[in-house]
Amino acid sequence: MDAVIQALGLNNTLVAQVFNFIMLLIFLRVVVYPHIVRILEERQNFIENNVAAAEEERKQAEALRQQYLDELQKAKNEAQEIIQKATKAGEDQAHEIIEAAKAEAARVKEAALQDITREKEKAVAELRDQVATLSILVASKVVSEKITADVQRGMIDEFIKEAGDLPC
Amino acid sequence: MSAAGSHEASKDMLTIVHDNLNIWGFPHGPVDFGLGPMNLKTLVMTWIVMGLVILFTVAATRNMKLKRPGKLQLMVEEMYQFLKGLAYENLDPKKGAALMCLLFSLFIYLLFCNLWGLVPTMMSPTADVNTTLGMAISVFILVQVLGLYYRGAKFFKHFVEPFVFFLPLVIVEELSKPLTLAFRLYGNIYAGEVLIAVLLGLIPLTINFFGGFIASVVWLSFSIFVGFIQAFIFTMLTIAYIGQVTAEHH
Repeated sequence: MDAVIQALGLNNTLVAQVFNFIMLLIFLRVVVYPHIVRILEERQNFIENNVAAAEEERKQAEALRQQYLDELQKAKNEAQEIIQKATKAGEDQAHEIIEAAKAEAARVKEAALQDITREKEKAVAELRDQVATLSILVASKVVSEKITADVQRGMIDEFIKEAGDLPC
Repeated sequence: MSAAGSHEASKDMLTIVHDNLNIWGFPHGPVDFGLGPMNLKTLVMTWIVMGLVILFTVAATRNMKLKRPGKLQLMVEEMYQFLKGLAYENLDPKKGAALMCLLFSLFIYLLFCNLWGLVPTMMSPTADVNTTLGMAISVFILVQVLGLYYRGAKFFKHFVEPFVFFLPLVIVEELSKPLTLAFRLYGNIYAGEVLIAVLLGLIPLTINFFGGFIASVVWLSFSIFVGFIQAFIFTMLTIAYIGQVTAEHH
């Protein structure tokens, strides 16, 4: 064993080197190591927070987008509805106006017809009266002496009737 | 010139180069300060490396910024994250977190040790077998202690698995771990330094001016790579050994 140690050149340097390394280890542990661990932890937290924040923001943006889309769709629907309503109202109104116009026309026509009829009747009656009066006057002048009043009346009526049947 | 003569000459050449490079006047043999014989050069180099490690890490962790890290801070952070990834993969995160400080210190210390030997007239502390064996034995003891701590009495079970008569084999295997750990690191770094010296001695100054430096430059750059790799392997194996011994299932 001594020979091996001699041949390898081993001596107390070995112990000293171990001691040296342990000293260095303690120094690094106390002075250097905490800083490295701290900064790496901080960076890890920083990145984690950033990632989480980005994820959160992405979610919010997605929700916002969805909301906007929904609102857009709603607005579109409403617009469509309004247009439909307006169209329907317009159609209804047009229909109403046409109906009213038709009714008015019918009424006017009816009134005109009535007027015509009334006027006609009035004219006929007037004519009849005048004819009767004239006839009476003529007849009385022509045959005042030969016909009695009754015969006269009967002849006049007959005449009027004939006259009434005339188209006018 | 005979073969023995040339061997003698090459040995002389290496000694001459080492003598020429020893401008700080370190004694060749161990020196006794009253605490037993010690290699003074190794110790001084270790202290310098420790100082450099402290300087580097303190400079890197002073004024750390969250959003705009500086270059040094980024280097240290990346190193830490890299080791953290390894540790958390091989151990579970809880054990890994407990060991991170050790692993980080181990890696950065070994890295600086390995690279320090590339500076002219300096020497890697890891080019001395005392350093590497000391570190390996510490890791070995740490592994045993952690195994006992995390697994309790069950820790001793793996010595007799799968059969009782595997005990000697397992013991040899366990003991070979620190030895391989130590000599792998030592061998790589020491060989690197020897070859640097050899290249300096082999190539005369005149040739050096006409492209002879290329070999040295290539070897130095490769040594940088080796320094990183060896520091990484040492740390990785530490993690692996701890992972093996603390794993819940077998």
